[in-house]
Amino acid sequence: MIKLLKYLKSYLKECILAPLFKMLEASFELFVPFVVAAIIDNGIKNADKAYIIQMCVVLVILGIVGFASTITAQYYSAKAAVGFTKKLKHIMFSHLQSFSFSKIDNIGTDTMITRMTSDMNQVQTGVNLTLRLLLRSPFIVFGAMIMAFSIDFQAALVFAVVIPLLFAVVFAVMLLSIPMYKKVQSKLDEVLGKTRENLTGVRVIRAFGMEETEKEEFDAKNSALTKMQKRVGAISTLMNPLTFVIINLGIVFLINSGAIRVDGGSLTQGQVVALYNYMSQILVELIKFANLIITVTKAVASGNRINAVLEIPGGEEGSENKAIINLDNSVEFKNVNLRYGDDSEDSLKGISFKAESGEVVGIIGGTGSGKSSLVNMIPAFYTARMGEVKVGGTNVSDISVDKLREKIGIVPQKATLFKGTIRENLLWGKNDADDKEIEEALIAAQATDVVRSKDYGLDSIVEQKGRNYSGGQKQRLTIARALVKKPGILILDDSSSALDYATDAALRKAITALDYKPTVFIVSQRTSAIKHADKIIVLDNGEMVGIGKHDDLLESCAVYREIYDSQYRKEARA
Amino acid sequence: MKARTNADIGILKKLLAYLSGYKLLFLLSTISAAGGVIFALYVPVKLGDAIDLLIGAGQVDFVKLAALLTECGVFIAISAALQWLTGILNNRITYEIIRDIRRDAFAKLEILPLSYIDTHPYGDTVSRIITDVDQLADGLLLGFSQLFTGIVTIVTTLVFMVMLQPIIALIVVVLTPMSLLAAKYIAKHTYQMFLAQSKTRAEQTGFIDEMISELKTVKAFSHEEENMKKFDEINERLEEVSLKAVFYSSLTNPTTRLINAIVYAAVALAGAFFCITPGGIFTVGNLSALLYFANQYTKPFNEISSVITELQNAFACASRVFMLIDEAPEAPDAPDAAVLQTAEGRVELDNVAFSYVPERQLIKDLSLSTKPGQRVAIVGPTGSGKTTLINLLMRFYDVDEGSVKVDGHDIRTLTRKSLRANYGMVLQETWLKSGTIRDNIKMSKKDATENEVIAAAKASYAHNFIKRLPNGYDTVIGEDGGSLSQGQKQLLCISRIMLSLPPMLILDEATSSIDTRTELRIQDAFAKLMKGRTTFVVAHRLSTIREADVILVLKDGQIIEKGKHDELLNANGFYATLYNSQFAGTE
Repeated sequence: MIKLLKYLKSYLKECILAPLFKMLEASFELFVPFVVAAIIDNGIKNADKAYIIQMCVVLVILGIVGFASTITAQYYSAKAAVGFTKKLKHIMFSHLQSFSFSKIDNIGTDTMITRMTSDMNQVQTGVNLTLRLLLRSPFIVFGAMIMAFSIDFQAALVFAVVIPLLFAVVFAVMLLSIPMYKKVQSKLDEVLGKTRENLTGVRVIRAFGMEETEKEEFDAKNSALTKMQKRVGAISTLMNPLTFVIINLGIVFLINSGAIRVDGGSLTQGQVVALYNYMSQILVELIKFANLIITVTKAVASGNRINAVLEIPGGEEGSENKAIINLDNSVEFKNVNLRYGDDSEDSLKGISFKAESGEVVGIIGGTGSGKSSLVNMIPAFYTARMGEVKVGGTNVSDISVDKLREKIGIVPQKATLFKGTIRENLLWGKNDADDKEIEEALIAAQATDVVRSKDYGLDSIVEQKGRNYSGGQKQRLTIARALVKKPGILILDDSSSALDYATDAALRKAITALDYKPTVFIVSQRTSAIKHADKIIVLDNGEMVGIGKHDDLLESCAVYREIYDSQYRKEARA
Repeated sequence: MKARTNADIGILKKLLAYLSGYKLLFLLSTISAAGGVIFALYVPVKLGDAIDLLIGAGQVDFVKLAALLTECGVFIAISAALQWLTGILNNRITYEIIRDIRRDAFAKLEILPLSYIDTHPYGDTVSRIITDVDQLADGLLLGFSQLFTGIVTIVTTLVFMVMLQPIIALIVVVLTPMSLLAAKYIAKHTYQMFLAQSKTRAEQTGFIDEMISELKTVKAFSHEEENMKKFDEINERLEEVSLKAVFYSSLTNPTTRLINAIVYAAVALAGAFFCITPGGIFTVGNLSALLYFANQYTKPFNEISSVITELQNAFACASRVFMLIDEAPEAPDAPDAAVLQTAEGRVELDNVAFSYVPERQLIKDLSLSTKPGQRVAIVGPTGSGKTTLINLLMRFYDVDEGSVKVDGHDIRTLTRKSLRANYGMVLQETWLKSGTIRDNIKMSKKDATENEVIAAAKASYAHNFIKRLPNGYDTVIGEDGGSLSQGQKQLLCISRIMLSLPPMLILDEATSSIDTRTELRIQDAFAKLMKGRTTFVVAHRLSTIREADVILVLKDGQIIEKGKHDELLNANGFYATLYNSQFAGTE
């Protein structure tokens, strides 16, 4: 968190002025009991009406001046907090965007989103409240104590007992209950899990007639939650009565010891009232302070989480070499090994092959065999641990990332569109594509009827994550998106799973007929999708167990044959 | 507005019905809350009396003082004890009511018709039972603890003030509403700013959510710069509206404090004048007590207004939970419903018509009759409604017209439980219960012995991988199956059926994402299961389809063709096209 504070630097003025004005306000508040004491001791005692009026006007003025200082303080603190968060968000977003794929895998997008949203909000609230209150509350508590001591040392000794006692009680209750609240939360999560499970598994639960068992299990979890809630409630409800007792008994002692001093002539009645008022002020501030500590702790925790992400170095291991421009569309792997993060084993082992410009390469294998990993190495999303990946004869790490990716059109496994219009989504492929280029891409991607079925054609609205489109529609549009820029290398990563067989076949035909002849990589689990490729790479457990044409592989590659048989069984081969 | 009020009354009635089980506790809590407040407020009055004894040097009556202070001590103790008791009681009432509501909501979940569950997003239902109920708890707790005590505080303070000095009491009563008005005025004018802030914030969150969760796509298209520009643009706007919202909303507190300061000054002025009025009975101690009350008097008003906002929110949440609880349940089994013993496996569909929504008829005039042990393959492109048939067979949904019969009994005359127990169902979307592997297998037969469980797992080729798990059959898996692969999860689901071996089967072949070897095992396990059992199988494998006794071809939710493989090929219809595109190459 402390490291984040450097972004507050440009708000230095606000950060100093806000607490300063707050303390100013607090001082005015501390004067109030003094003035009241003066009214009692001078005004009332001497029946001096003019003095009383004067002092009451002073009270109003104190109120107004305090009001003005608070507003000033709050303006500055709001400005600093909002501005700081804005700056931090900018830096964070830019940092997140610079992460390489392995970093993204490592951190996880859910974490990144939480850091950018709820953690940022926590930090903003924390900074705002800290600037306003962190100094004010202790200032009033100790200010009240000092004022009390300045009135009468002996009578004020009660303060020295009451304040630490209050602190102890307030913080003990907090410290005891906070971990219990965490337990409540985890019990609540269990109840939530059970509820979710019963929705997702409703068919199975009813098929097995398990409704009653499920109800019993839910009741058990639900009751455990209630028990925990009652237990933590019993502790946190102690706070009010305990502080009430301490403060009021403190006042009783104060009046008692004050009485002795008054009797001795060293203290006046008005001063006792002032001491009494100071005591009342303390409680209110202490409770505020305790709540502030909770907010600040949360904000600091959020700040630390944000900082942890910021400290992960960003940037990709790409080259800045912009000189290389003319590359052909060949792709070559030379003895490539790939390992993810801290894995103990390589996900790809000793992959070697060469795809010439314009060839169609099929990649097949079971789940986890490394198909996606292989194609993700072509745009240098992941870099080789050993060996070389070459595009156009040049090692990808010698090509600038922008240049390399400009050349490659990729259709990811999970089809997603972005909020906007269909056109805006397709322009992701090429910023300045005209309608003719878009139309061509749509035709090849078998997506013209998707656009036609919408009321506004290319300008039809796409909702967030494209949720107003079916899986098949999304898939075709993401294919079109990759085709708009007429990529030299096209990668289809199992991207036609939601298409029916006829459409899938038509799509493959259109892609092989593209006039700019890209090198095409088709990743699939089905032999029908890659049967006609120029080269088929068979992967099993990260290793290349076969490469060649369909008919050759049927003869020579056991894994390929097994896959083929599982989909066709013997009959189809006849 | 009126409609709202009526709806609120409806919710209140339901809440009161839940409260009625805790009548005695509630009564006790009310009495103790009132007692706690009255004793607490009586303390400053007594303290004021005590201060009046401190007239000056040598004039203090210590005997009287000791009596007064002892009295205070007793009041303080009683009040604190009552406050604590109230807290405990309120906690108990609230959390137990909440527990009851959750229990009822969940119980409803178990008897809701599938049509409800299929058409309502899970997240929505979950948030009704979890988040909304939680918010309701917060609201209720605050309502119990602050609404009532707030009112008692106002009334008691008022009574004490009038007793002390009616004219000053009047000043307080007239002036204090100003702070409420000011707070209301500010709230009204900042509402727009808050709206603008939450709108812009939602826009930013949406953008972040979308772009970060798809960061890989963003990078694949080198779209970072465009995103940064868009982000900064939103960020700038957010800063502007946030500053306004944060600043203006923070004005409420200082403003009410200013007004309170004015009230305080007015009370001090009037009080001091009364003190010096010759022959008056108003004392400095009274003034001190009144100043205390003047400070206290406004607090409950502010609290009550925030409690009311909170309660409105709680009511909104309650209405969402009650909507779920009041949802019409699935029609119960007929009172004379028979229990289907182990069926032979004769399934007949007789002129069945069905639709999920009346506007779009899905199945019309479907008739089909299977002999025991026959195999029915259901084929068609994804999304063509293959699950609809499963829904009707298992009676997850009832037919609109016609009937479904098992062994000659209309399934509506049978208990659902016994009908479903006669089917073994393995869906492609595997569902595992969070619990141990053993719990999951035993789901179909609760009293199965360990040997039976292992035998079933062996028969379905699951035993080997289970054995390799860290805790074998005792390995705990989550709802998503944890580290199990898709194929392993499916094998587990098959083990369940192997254990109970029901006479009829509903199987759903996997389309993809299972590695080849596991897939072969699954097919073998399926084959073992199907032997001698009436089977409905959603088929993707040619072999399954060709070996079927009947093939049902679905398209857009309708059964458009029905027959054996060769017959359908010769008819050269949709099935033929489908078959050719999938299995006969792409030429």
